[in-house]
Amino acid sequence: MIGAAPSQWPGEEAATRRDWQARERRRPIIQASARRSLGRRRRAGRFVQVLCVLAAAIGLAPLVALVYYTAERGLGGLSWSFLTQAPVPEGIPGGGISTAIVGTGEIVGLALVMAVPVGLMAALFLHERRGRLATAIRFGADLLTGVPSIVIGIFAYALLVRPLHHFSNLAAAFALAVLMLPIMIRADEEAMRTVAVDLWEAGVALGARRSRVARSVVLRGALPGLVTGNLLAVSRGVGETAPLLFTVAAPSFAMTMLIYTDGTQPFPAEQQTAWTTALLLLLFVLVLSGIARLVAWRLTRRAR
Amino acid sequence: MTALSGASNLASVKAAIRHRHARRGGRAYVVLRWAAAGLFVAILAGLVVSIAVDSSQAIAHSGIGFLWSGTWNPAANQFGAGILVVGTVVTTLVAMIIVVPVGLGTAAFLSELAPRWLAGPLSTAIDLLAAVPSIVVGLWALLVLSPVFANYVEPFFKSVPALGWFFHGPAYGPSILLASVVLAVMTLPTIVALSRTALSGVALADREAAMALGATHWQVVREVVFPGARSGIAASLTLAVGRALGESIAVAMVIGNSPSVPHSLLSPGATLGSAIVNQFAEAEPGIGTSSVIALAAVLLVLTLIVNAGGQALLRGMGPGRLRRRGRDRVTKAAA
Amino acid sequence: MREQAEPGVKVFPMSEDAPMLASEAVGPAQQEASGRYSSTRTPASVALEAAGRALAPPERAGEPAVTLDNVKVTFGEHVAVRNVTLALPARQVTALVGPSGCGKTTVLRAINRLHDHTGGRVEGTIRLGDVDVYAPDTDPELVRARIGMVFQRPNPFPTMSILDNVTSGLRFNGIRNRALLREAAESALRHAALWDIVKDRLHQTALRLSGGQQQRLCIARALAIEPDVMLMDEPCSALDPVATEKIENLITNLAREVTIVLVTHNMFQAARVSDNAAVFLLDEDRVGELVEVGPTVEIFDSPRDERTKQYVTGHVG
Repeated sequence: MIGAAPSQWPGEEAATRRDWQARERRRPIIQASARRSLGRRRRAGRFVQVLCVLAAAIGLAPLVALVYYTAERGLGGLSWSFLTQAPVPEGIPGGGISTAIVGTGEIVGLALVMAVPVGLMAALFLHERRGRLATAIRFGADLLTGVPSIVIGIFAYALLVRPLHHFSNLAAAFALAVLMLPIMIRADEEAMRTVAVDLWEAGVALGARRSRVARSVVLRGALPGLVTGNLLAVSRGVGETAPLLFTVAAPSFAMTMLIYTDGTQPFPAEQQTAWTTALLLLLFVLVLSGIARLVAWRLTRRAR
Repeated sequence: MTALSGASNLASVKAAIRHRHARRGGRAYVVLRWAAAGLFVAILAGLVVSIAVDSSQAIAHSGIGFLWSGTWNPAANQFGAGILVVGTVVTTLVAMIIVVPVGLGTAAFLSELAPRWLAGPLSTAIDLLAAVPSIVVGLWALLVLSPVFANYVEPFFKSVPALGWFFHGPAYGPSILLASVVLAVMTLPTIVALSRTALSGVALADREAAMALGATHWQVVREVVFPGARSGIAASLTLAVGRALGESIAVAMVIGNSPSVPHSLLSPGATLGSAIVNQFAEAEPGIGTSSVIALAAVLLVLTLIVNAGGQALLRGMGPGRLRRRGRDRVTKAAA
Repeated sequence: MREQAEPGVKVFPMSEDAPMLASEAVGPAQQEASGRYSSTRTPASVALEAAGRALAPPERAGEPAVTLDNVKVTFGEHVAVRNVTLALPARQVTALVGPSGCGKTTVLRAINRLHDHTGGRVEGTIRLGDVDVYAPDTDPELVRARIGMVFQRPNPFPTMSILDNVTSGLRFNGIRNRALLREAAESALRHAALWDIVKDRLHQTALRLSGGQQQRLCIARALAIEPDVMLMDEPCSALDPVATEKIENLITNLAREVTIVLVTHNMFQAARVSDNAAVFLLDEDRVGELVEVGPTVEIFDSPRDERTKQYVTGHVG
């Protein structure tokens, strides 16, 4: 249409003319409607905005309240003797939770020994094999992350407590390991997958055989991601109570159990113990999560 | 995105090629990997089998009616999971009623309204809520929330005429309402994290198309962003329900362990999870224990179904990167 | 009043004091017809909202639909494009040409204030008709309701049916009358040469259409709000040659009634389709700027600026 004069009336066709007329009719109606409705549309938006801010404030409140009250009530009982002395029988003042701290350390440590290697190897398996088995295992891991921790506790009871006729830290560790395993598998595999793509090229370009490259190189590169994923799994495992309910020999062997048994008693001394233990647990878990996030953040920053 | 700088790239690759172990340990690694995979499968299978086996005694005793029979009275040798299923459903339902508006509103705030400097830290804060151990939430609910509810919240709801039926009757402290609030607190991070990912993931092009037509910001969000995030939001809700169904220890601390028909939200009650926690220690070996384990079986089946649905929805969220971000959030929220 | 015999002259009796409703703006013959779908209100209630301003389309062909005066767009520290002074004549196709990165799309998006949410700062004046687009009391939503935009990649709303897609602009602006919506949709789809293809599947998802069809759907969606100006940002770049040709024909037909601003890096497309061309190039500081503007024939045959000559004859860009 180069050089044509602008806008000749197109034609005599009645239909086109009618359409033009209809559109000329519609245009001012549309504009008027736009103008008229603008106030209402904007007001609706502002109303929703207020609701959303309110929702966010409500959403933030539980965290704030949790941290605040746990700190306020737990700090009072925090002392060096609290950390280093063993619990004393009910009614007698004093004592601490050293057995619980040590016990928790033992249980979680054992659980890590069980879960970390298996998780890593299984993740390598998933990473290097395609096929239906790998997909099935991946699906199974996703399902297992959703299994309630109490069911896992019962499983550990049935497997390691009942046949042996006694509760044990081992059984508790097993329960936690089963709990953490699927989280670790998925996180490990994810860490490997992110790294592998670029390093494949480097490795293959240098002439290395694929299988050799996979193991050492990918593991090395995925280390930060592996650390993050495993730390998060640990922070979850440390905070669990239900699996321990059916497996530990006594509440004084695990911090979470202690919180449960002492917290549900009507005595202020016991409740104080529960609060302080809860504060310790909360601090530990938040610090662990914070470290995991920091590592993950540095990882993504380096990637840019 | 390269995870390492170019120099360390080459260095690590060269090191790996020279690394003798990589060459020699090849076969051992293969064996280990298969062993790990096999072990995992064994654990999965073992879990299902042992729960099934141990609950068989109870099913044999009470018949399949165990699932819906309404009475749970171990002393009278009556074991029916029905009332507990009802309790589980009610607490989960009320929890969802509380948490869905709050969660979606927070997600919308983070995704659409908050400036960048605020959205990041706030989002992290909500994620940290997911890291708080359930026992700590339970303790706080029992010792802090319960008196507040008894003194302020419950009388307030009683005074609202329309809600009267839900809140009538005496309140002793432990209540279904309190348990629902606990569940709401625990499922909030899941909903916020996943929904926010879903909302932010809606293509800028679609938003701009709506803006170019004269839509206001809220119209863009309502007509384009929310519909576009539908499957992600559905996934978040489903996974939240799955999480709520399985939460036992915190609920057990505040619900009152009363497996009878509740007269209102203010009465104590019991759920599958809370019953397992509260009844296991005193259950008599044999029928008693088996029945409690049967409850665990019911809970397992329920949560598996719901979570499988949630995972399927998560897969439908979109290809590749978006789905991975969503799943990462689930992992982080679960951890 | 409506049945003007003179082609190309539209009379829009709209000014700040005039009534806003079509039923009051047309002659008695039309009033009955338009009463079908205008919601009449009492004269008292038809008060102008203080925030809105009448946007009067140009009265005469040849008067520019959009004018840009010394426009500069900055993102943070980085200046994307500057020295843009340009008049876009009504009911003609003006192509913004030049190599990528010279600011053509940035300028296009500045016209309908799409930089409001991307953090771009727009200096200078842009007028739509005689309205200052960036005046503090101008509502961006109302400006955008007079301007239609088509993007580089077809972007129909994925969760809406074909019909809902086309009527979306009308519904956003408060139109609810079903008859009006259907009528507008059919008209827009016909103008986009899509009606016969989709008329039997209006309620299906838009994603089943081919790329070229989706882009025509987006054009129909933009047309449905009866804009005065259509902004098209490389609408054919994601399409195959057959689809491209269809859309170029569309543009030529549409230009009879709508002012079209077309960003394209394809000189041949500009030559085929546009009446006027504005050439954007990078200056010495690697900032985009408008180098020359004029009728397309002149720009390609006898450009005045040396840089334009270089670009057009393929030495640059």
